[in-house]
Amino acid sequence: MPAYHTQFTDENNYRVIGNISMLPIKTKTRGPAPIFPGDGEDIIDETINLFRANCFFRNFEVKGGGDRVLIYLTLFITECLQKLSQKPLQSQQEGLRALNTLAVGNFLIPGDGGFPLNALFERPANKVDSENMRNYLMQLRNEMAIRLCSRVFEQDKISKWWLCFSKRKFMGINGG
Amino acid sequence: MGYAGNETPQFIIPTTIATRETSAGSTISKSSGQNFSNLSSKRGIEDLDFFIGDEALLNSKTYQNSWPIKHGQVENWDLMEKYHQACLFQYLRCEPEDHFFLLTEPPLNAPENREFTAEIFFESFGVKGLYIAVQAVLALAASWTHKESQRTLTGTVIDSGDGVTHVIPVAEGYVIGSSIKHIPIAGRDLTYFVQQLLRERENSIPPEDSLEVAKKIKEMYSYVCPDIVKEFKKYESEGDKWFKRHEFIHSVTQKPYTIDVGFERFLGPEIFFNPEIASSEFLTPLPDVVDGVIQSCPIDTRRGLYKNIVLSGGSTMFKDFSRKLQKELKKTVDARVRMSETISQQNMDTMAQIRSKEVEVKVLSHKRQRYAVWYGGSLLADTVNI
Repeated sequence: MPAYHTQFTDENNYRVIGNISMLPIKTKTRGPAPIFPGDGEDIIDETINLFRANCFFRNFEVKGGGDRVLIYLTLFITECLQKLSQKPLQSQQEGLRALNTLAVGNFLIPGDGGFPLNALFERPANKVDSENMRNYLMQLRNEMAIRLCSRVFEQDKISKWWLCFSKRKFMGINGG
Repeated sequence: MGYAGNETPQFIIPTTIATRETSAGSTISKSSGQNFSNLSSKRGIEDLDFFIGDEALLNSKTYQNSWPIKHGQVENWDLMEKYHQACLFQYLRCEPEDHFFLLTEPPLNAPENREFTAEIFFESFGVKGLYIAVQAVLALAASWTHKESQRTLTGTVIDSGDGVTHVIPVAEGYVIGSSIKHIPIAGRDLTYFVQQLLRERENSIPPEDSLEVAKKIKEMYSYVCPDIVKEFKKYESEGDKWFKRHEFIHSVTQKPYTIDVGFERFLGPEIFFNPEIASSEFLTPLPDVVDGVIQSCPIDTRRGLYKNIVLSGGSTMFKDFSRKLQKELKKTVDARVRMSETISQQNMDTMAQIRSKEVEVKVLSHKRQRYAVWYGGSLLADTVNI
């Protein structure tokens, strides 16, 4: 049984930049991503749910643009958990602040030198696309930071049942 | 080791032997003529001055410990003879002249080894009779206790101990040697993986105890889950029911400490089904290996091998291990049957529908798995006529 894949595989339904799909998300932050209709599980919830199983895998067969988003977000969760484990945080608020800074801070997009998965991700075709991709990824990161925080904190204390996964190297990549 | 007809072995003795260093040959050969007579007169007693098994380990300070069996092969036949001698006279306390003996050998054992063993038993001990059985066949025999067993000697044996896991196909009592596969994932790797998971989460475990703790947790709490993601969700929604706490006592300071037991309960045994999560060298899941083994066997034996898959050894005792193995194997087999159906349908131009007979996959799990080989031997030796 290999690693788990996303359900958002139908590439025709979604716009594609580079070679990642622009999947709809439930969010209040502004950005280019389409709005997720209804109350179901969007890519962010899905990634959080699959994270603890997927982070054990070193190999991942990419089946489409949706999976690339899954990979990107999985690695971002690892990064977040590492951030949270670095210093003792007093409250969920503080944790959220730390993650928000991480989400909007300087980050690399596919095509940049030093981006860990350049073999899998395509460089955006032009300046406009590149700007678009950056905004999309930032939106994903923002929303992930918010939702991850509400999942991993238990009464202002971060749960060790999540923190223990911060050292896992999904696809052999160290998130931080 | 024990008497036929019993349910569990009476003695479990590690194959180690402790001898006086002086009797180990090196000093004797060096000694010159003068004190040679002195030594040789003492030799008669020194020969009996040794311990085996746990007693040997206890006396390892004053005696020299050696392991006559390495990687399942006897390396020192002299010591092995002494070991057998102690087994018979000190532990079983029997007259070898009055008894028949059943010994076991691993599959693909060299005939020379069998000869040597028989020589020792017949000539040194003068036993009445001797039978050397193949372990896998005995494991099959042990599964006869299961109520759904077909009582055949055809089947696939999955034997997982501490070091390696073997998948051994047996047809009509004969091992199909060319198809045997070994998997480098077994109990020890499981313990290491659990230890690693614990180390990443719990900080109250003293490092000197961590291996013991991991072993305990593996043996007491592990089980096999149908799907990891669903299992993670279960732990999140009904944490009280699934997370466990266990109290341990520090081996040095004797202070008690508690450890939360969580995901390692199902992640541990999962390495058989997803080796990727723990090892980077071996990546084939156990069901695929079993399928490969059976596919490499003669075609007329395959149905029988799928129908009777028998587990043996301590690392196969996890709850629902057999169920998951059966489910995954069935999935692979069914997919293959469907594929061959469509292919042959295309090749044949007739209108007739091609239906192939369903391949039955059955994994047997029984109560005697732990000492399955021994129990099978006990059963077989106790049967009057087969």
